[in-house]
Amino acid sequence: MSKRQLAMVMDLNKCIGCQTCTVACKTQWTNRNGREYMYWNNVETYPGAGYPKNWMELGGGFDAAGDLQPGVIPNLEADYGVPWDYNYDELQNGASFEPNVEPTWGPNWDEDQGAGAFPQDNYFFYLPRICNHCTNPGCLSACPRDAIFKREQDGVVLVDLDRCQGYRYCIAGCPYKKIYFNPKISKSEKCILCFPRVEQGLPPACAQQCVGRIRFVGFLDDEEGQVSKLVNKYKVALGLRPEYGTQPNVYYVPPTESPAKFDAEGKIIEGSTRLPVEELEKLFGPDVHQAIATLKAEMKKRKETGESELMDILIAYQHSDMFRLDNNYYQEVAKAAGQTPLAPVDNRYVAGKHTSTKHVMNFTHGGHAAGGHH
Amino acid sequence: MKKIATSMIAAGIAASSLMAAEAAITAVKVSGDLNNVSYSDAVWSKAKFSEVSLYPQTTIKMNDAKANELNAANTAVKAQIAAVYNGENIAFMVKWPDASMNIQRGCKTTSYGDGFAVQFAEDASNPEALPYIGMGSADREVVIHLQKAVRPSYEPNGKGDVAMQVNRNQTDLFGADLAKFDKDVAALGNFDYERSFVSQGFRSMTEIKDGSNKSSARLGYNTNNDGWEGTLTRPMKDDYVDLNQGAIPVAFAVWDGAKMGRDGLKNLSQWVSVKLEGNEGGDALIAALDASAVNGDVAAGKQAVADNGCVGCHQVEATDAANLMAPSLTNVGGYATAGYLKESLVAPSAVVVPGYNRNAHSNYMWYMEENGKRTSTMTDYSFLDAATIDNIVAYLKTLKAEAK
Ligand code: SF4
Ligand code: SF4
Repeated sequence: MSKRQLAMVMDLNKCIGCQTCTVACKTQWTNRNGREYMYWNNVETYPGAGYPKNWMELGGGFDAAGDLQPGVIPNLEADYGVPWDYNYDELQNGASFEPNVEPTWGPNWDEDQGAGAFPQDNYFFYLPRICNHCTNPGCLSACPRDAIFKREQDGVVLVDLDRCQGYRYCIAGCPYKKIYFNPKISKSEKCILCFPRVEQGLPPACAQQCVGRIRFVGFLDDEEGQVSKLVNKYKVALGLRPEYGTQPNVYYVPPTESPAKFDAEGKIIEGSTRLPVEELEKLFGPDVHQAIATLKAEMKKRKETGESELMDILIAYQHSDMFRLDNNYYQEVAKAAGQTPLAPVDNRYVAGKHTSTKHVMNFTHGGHAAGGHH
Repeated sequence: MKKIATSMIAAGIAASSLMAAEAAITAVKVSGDLNNVSYSDAVWSKAKFSEVSLYPQTTIKMNDAKANELNAANTAVKAQIAAVYNGENIAFMVKWPDASMNIQRGCKTTSYGDGFAVQFAEDASNPEALPYIGMGSADREVVIHLQKAVRPSYEPNGKGDVAMQVNRNQTDLFGADLAKFDKDVAALGNFDYERSFVSQGFRSMTEIKDGSNKSSARLGYNTNNDGWEGTLTRPMKDDYVDLNQGAIPVAFAVWDGAKMGRDGLKNLSQWVSVKLEGNEGGDALIAALDASAVNGDVAAGKQAVADNGCVGCHQVEATDAANLMAPSLTNVGGYATAGYLKESLVAPSAVVVPGYNRNAHSNYMWYMEENGKRTSTMTDYSFLDAATIDNIVAYLKTLKAEAK
């Protein structure tokens, strides 16, 4: 466990599935060099197969005894989908409109399909997903090279590209399939929680750009912060699939409101709700019942009295309250480590945390450094 | 400590009485240049090929469900290995059967390459206490040369070339400037997946990147007999090892990309002895690595293993239940030397590899760590009499999946 943990809360009641977050991330990090197929941030429709396809059934994570479970590495063609393009240029010569590769799957392949029968009881909601920067990461545990590490100062989980040899066990080990194999460089890559932005006091790009203002970012131990209040004080923000045992640090406010069902004549069935609570329990565990009860109670209180701190937080008035990054904290951390704070191009991790140009072997954890090679 | 010393002296005596032991491989002395050897060189017609068996790594189980399924019924691979040396360099050729040529491709997430590796011990002065076969162990360092069949890969890291990581469409370059940009990016590609590492056990393997490694490996698939031919040539002496000895221990590993082989999913040999023709000495090493010289009663050893409750922590035979507590022994007879097996029994903490991953199996404390020193939680069996130890070692040496 790291000294502090940076966390994100996403309020699923407000996500409109606009994919602005996805694009913000993609243009910044994954539009090049073998990352083209990766979505460090994706927004999928739930219920649905998601991205990669059926990721919830691909194993990884831990069992109740704490043992890492075997997992499956998704296939580019079948499970992620090869990014494809169309032959726009040839259309003027009379060619028919064709994709350059036969699309078989891709992110949002089943967008807005959901479940149930239209119009009686169909339903779906959007589930935005990034790496959870887990407290007990399955990716880290699976790596036989010690190439994945969790930063002490904020719990961000990163791949040391210098140590990574492209074995891909991390991908099998992550139950969220949020770490990807870059076939071009034969190394694994993943969401870095925009750490170069965060260190400069800016929230991750996905959170800053979010149109629905659903994303809160802050340290879990910052009791004044909205993240900590949602997670620890009101306990309305819950980790996804907690039974995977990785202790995720992206928390979700479950969707509480959904329209009523229609009967065969198309009339509203009073008191019914389309979104089955069992589905929410499957995603967020048994605590979801208490979270929903709290949200409903606070909503009622707000309606009756006009007062509710929780509702005020969820309205998301000010970015400055939603993102508490404590910029000075990172300045102090950098200073203590003798690093240049706010370097314009951050190459501290590009060069590799564990390896300098000389091959040192100070990787054992008890302070036993076996350098000595010249 | 006293007990280990005694057992080593005993082994030393046994070794000297077995002067007739033969080295597994004889390195033939040649006079030509060995700086840049390939599998098609004429020099190999002078070499003596020996058969070396490589056994499936089953000590630890990796967490890739599909790969585990593909590798569940693995058997030994019989490689033909030869060595030549000229005093300045030494070269090895490894030929092994592989029905399919698998090359890792730069456009797939689930493609794996075939490959081979050669491992050398930094210090082989005590043949009874060589580095742990699985990438060495604390204070017993190894050097590993790896050659994999990988299509050119682009590694933009660690070379200060961050600016080259931009998508060409997102640069403000065009014309000749863009062509130069493309050329610079292409120049950063690695066209040969050949790497050298130093290692002191699982997880510690660190790539040598400062140019101090002068080795060169080649790999070619021979379609005439459906197999790979790999060569490695390296200096006799460098910063890491001095191979100018009467005999040296060398270990080999091969990977099968068709079975998603990488890292722990491989076949490996035990330390095999390589006699450098014309060099004096090395008899003790050759005797210590001679598997046929293991003396002991296999049946009595099997009984002793049962009596001492080894299956409480180890999977011993392939038919026993898998156990996360301790390394699986199902192929230990294939890749562990008798000396290592004996040492493990009488001094379990002499070699304790770090990992494979304590986080992954947090309830199985198979070692304690204090000030960087690992102490095995295994019972110290030095109280057993010498004959029983020999019997157990003889039995453990039979645990291996033979070639089909
Ligand atoms: S979500 Fe997956 S990739 Fe991210 S830290 Fe957790 S286990 Fe690792
Ligand atoms: S930008 Fe916000 S509202 Fe839009 S899809 Fe992403 S998380 Fe949902």
